[in-house]
Amino acid sequence: MSVAQSDKAGGLRRWVSLPILFSFAVFGTMPLWIETVGLYQYIGLEIVIWVIFALGFNLLLGYTGLPSFGHGAFLGIGAYAFGVTQFHVVDNLWLSLLGAILVTALLGGVTALFISHRRGIYYALMTIAFGQIFFFIAGKWTSVTGGEDGLLNIQRLPVELGVVSLDIDDVRALAWFAFACYAVIVILLWRLVNSPFGKTLKAIKQNESRVSFLGYNVVLLKWAAFTISCGVAGLAGALFAMAQQGAYIQIMSLQWSGTIVLITLIGGGFVSFWGPVVGVILYFVARDVLGAYTETWLLWFGLMFMIVVMFKPDGVAGIWVDLGKRLKREPAPKPATLPAE
Amino acid sequence: MDLLYSLIPHLLNSIALGLLFALVALGFMLIIGVMEVINLAHGSFFALGAYFALAVIAPDGGLPFEFMQPFYDLPDWPRYIIALFVAPVFVALAGMVLELCLRRTYGADPLYGLLLTFGAALVIEELIREVWGSSEYYLPVPRDISGGFIAGDLIYSTYRIYAAVFACGMIGLLWLFLNRTPYGAVIKAGAHDSEMVRALGYNLSRLRLLVFGFGCALAGIAGIIMAPIWGIRPVVGVDAVIPAFIVIVLGGVGSFWGAVSAGLMVGLVVGMTAAFATDWSLLSMYLLLLLVVTFRARGLAGKASVLER
Amino acid sequence: MALFEAHHLQKRFGDQVVLEDITMSFEANRLSGIMGPNGAGKTTCFNVLTGRYRPSRGKVLFDGEDITGLPPRTIARKGIARSFQTMNLFDEFTALDNAILALPEVRAKGFNVFHDLAANSEAQDRAAQVLARVGLHGREHVQASDMAYGERRALEIGIAVAADPRLLFLDEPTAGLGSDATAGLAELIQELRRSTTIVVIEHDMRFLFGLADFIYVVHWGQVIAEGAPDLLQQNEWVQNSSLGAIRTIGESELA
Repeated sequence: MSVAQSDKAGGLRRWVSLPILFSFAVFGTMPLWIETVGLYQYIGLEIVIWVIFALGFNLLLGYTGLPSFGHGAFLGIGAYAFGVTQFHVVDNLWLSLLGAILVTALLGGVTALFISHRRGIYYALMTIAFGQIFFFIAGKWTSVTGGEDGLLNIQRLPVELGVVSLDIDDVRALAWFAFACYAVIVILLWRLVNSPFGKTLKAIKQNESRVSFLGYNVVLLKWAAFTISCGVAGLAGALFAMAQQGAYIQIMSLQWSGTIVLITLIGGGFVSFWGPVVGVILYFVARDVLGAYTETWLLWFGLMFMIVVMFKPDGVAGIWVDLGKRLKREPAPKPATLPAE
Repeated sequence: MDLLYSLIPHLLNSIALGLLFALVALGFMLIIGVMEVINLAHGSFFALGAYFALAVIAPDGGLPFEFMQPFYDLPDWPRYIIALFVAPVFVALAGMVLELCLRRTYGADPLYGLLLTFGAALVIEELIREVWGSSEYYLPVPRDISGGFIAGDLIYSTYRIYAAVFACGMIGLLWLFLNRTPYGAVIKAGAHDSEMVRALGYNLSRLRLLVFGFGCALAGIAGIIMAPIWGIRPVVGVDAVIPAFIVIVLGGVGSFWGAVSAGLMVGLVVGMTAAFATDWSLLSMYLLLLLVVTFRARGLAGKASVLER
Repeated sequence: MALFEAHHLQKRFGDQVVLEDITMSFEANRLSGIMGPNGAGKTTCFNVLTGRYRPSRGKVLFDGEDITGLPPRTIARKGIARSFQTMNLFDEFTALDNAILALPEVRAKGFNVFHDLAANSEAQDRAAQVLARVGLHGREHVQASDMAYGERRALEIGIAVAADPRLLFLDEPTAGLGSDATAGLAELIQELRRSTTIVVIEHDMRFLFGLADFIYVVHWGQVIAEGAPDLLQQNEWVQNSSLGAIRTIGESELA
């Protein structure tokens, strides 16, 4: 009998990796140093929130290869659901967060029922249609969403931990809380993509029909990927509502949904788990740095994106992966783990 | 009877809308047919057409006034007709530039082509903001085709009837081009058989360049015709490209009359809801799409296509 | 009763009838072949048998159970695996990962998110064994897209074998292979048939006549002849049809 070395190491290694610890070190300390590098607390908070969202989105886009051009809608649904829960149901942070996640996952799950047997451009188109329907409803259902004005005065509810109650009203405190959410989500998603489930999603991206000929329920897997990413979007939406102290319809627009795809891919979501993280940081820093010099920073960002697609379609992470390959040169074929006979 | 009678103007408006949607969709479809690229920037070319026409016709349209002044002194019809020819040519040129960029994505996952055109849409929209600003413009049209007239007890918009007739004419010309000229036959054979295109002695790269430019020009023409109805804003393209998308799915890729009839259908649904339930006009076409696609997985024509890859 | 039976299958696409009337049965532990000229409907026939297309008419039985029109995944779970004529690999995965994904025990863990595939040495060992069987020993960690054509062909079969099927369909396994590689493939199939029931589609008659226990000849969407290879040589219809060439090739091979 042979036992692979990694079997013993199991335990913790199964849940975290070196890049995860590195990201903890960066995002976890960010509120301490972000002002000294010339940025400000709010952008750090925004980055962490959008990273959560983009990581969840990439489960769908990068791992399963399903281009959803309507995902901004679910971010918005999460934000509204968070506000509605705290206004009308219970003003407890945990329950409001749970409400946001469940409502978003539920609506995502229903949407996924209609689209999961599709792929490619049809998939993109159907997600546009659903995104627009949600956008439309949010705009018209004024009694719940506040319509064009938005849902105002959403509270940054205190974090109740049984004995203590931590106040996160201050942006810096909220940033710590967002980081805690990030830590949970990144560990869960990392586990997910390294389970047979994640492997199968990757296989679906490459060759959907072969996966079904291997006996997997492709439609169910695609449904699950969409629903999970919507649940994550719900959490990000709730955090965003807290950050903005309100929920607004703009993030549900088609433009935003497209921009999310762009952000995820420019970072390299197709080739790396960390692609969307790189993309989000790039986007927000570009917005602030380029935005300080020129009104039309989006023009330059768009051009940059076009150049990336033309010359390095795998995005920033693709460059990283190529560098890694070149450094390692041709990896010597590892001895097969055949059982000793 | 009275109700039906009062519907006529709305019906005419809807038909005009539907034919213009069909025109946008047909250009979109030509590009899919030959390059297998979903051109998300198609709406931007629609907007560009309107802005270019604005620049040619209107004194406040962005061109240096002193330089253009003799031209602005011309009567309205010649100015309009010149714009109708010049603007699409410039749109086609812009489209060709995008096609040159797209060449790097041929043969790769079609998603990359989609993304590149999305980036292009972003860039074009920002360029428009840079040149013309974010405020809304109206495209002046010759007095003969503006305003309205009364027939029976009903008011008809002259311009919309003109728009419908113009779109009909364009669709007819396009059909003749595709079905009665050798070049049209090659375009119809399209990407399914690039070997054949070469065997027939056509230069594939040039064909792609021209078809992309031509498809964008069709969007640009539709943009010019639509401008007096919708107004000209930097984001106006999105309002055109989404219906075109829906038309393609409903009508099926590669079906000329499928696109025209689906265009009319979308136009009727949007136009009628706009007339009687304004709040719902945005939503109606999506509901139509969901309805049709839920029951007929591949739209009305029911053919498999590049959209499914 | 045979392991797999197809009764009076018909397949139409629109008004075009591709399969007229196909009746076949594949006995357990035998190697059956389907042959015919290009465009005879072989691949459509295969796609109907393995559940990719639903037949317009007719019935498919596996182990006595009616599986007509079931989706591919259900048919796969019943123990039928297939390879594809046009390569159908997971190009971004290593050969090992390609095979791992096909293992029924990995599939059973489909939604178990606590399972760590990278640490599952049993699955890795099983997959490596399968790869060794199809001649890819030492190539486990090569990415599928980086492999040579012949290796990719072998992996294509390896994925189907890894599913540990009771019935294995191979769609034109020799397509694009040179004579050496074809000989190697024949050896591999000889080895596989000892443990599995196999059905092979081929247009390479020499290859099929050397391997099969029983052969169906498909032409014009129908079975025009059937029988053991040596009996089939004598069949008048086969000799007179455009497939008459079999005779000369087959005889020299089997003599």
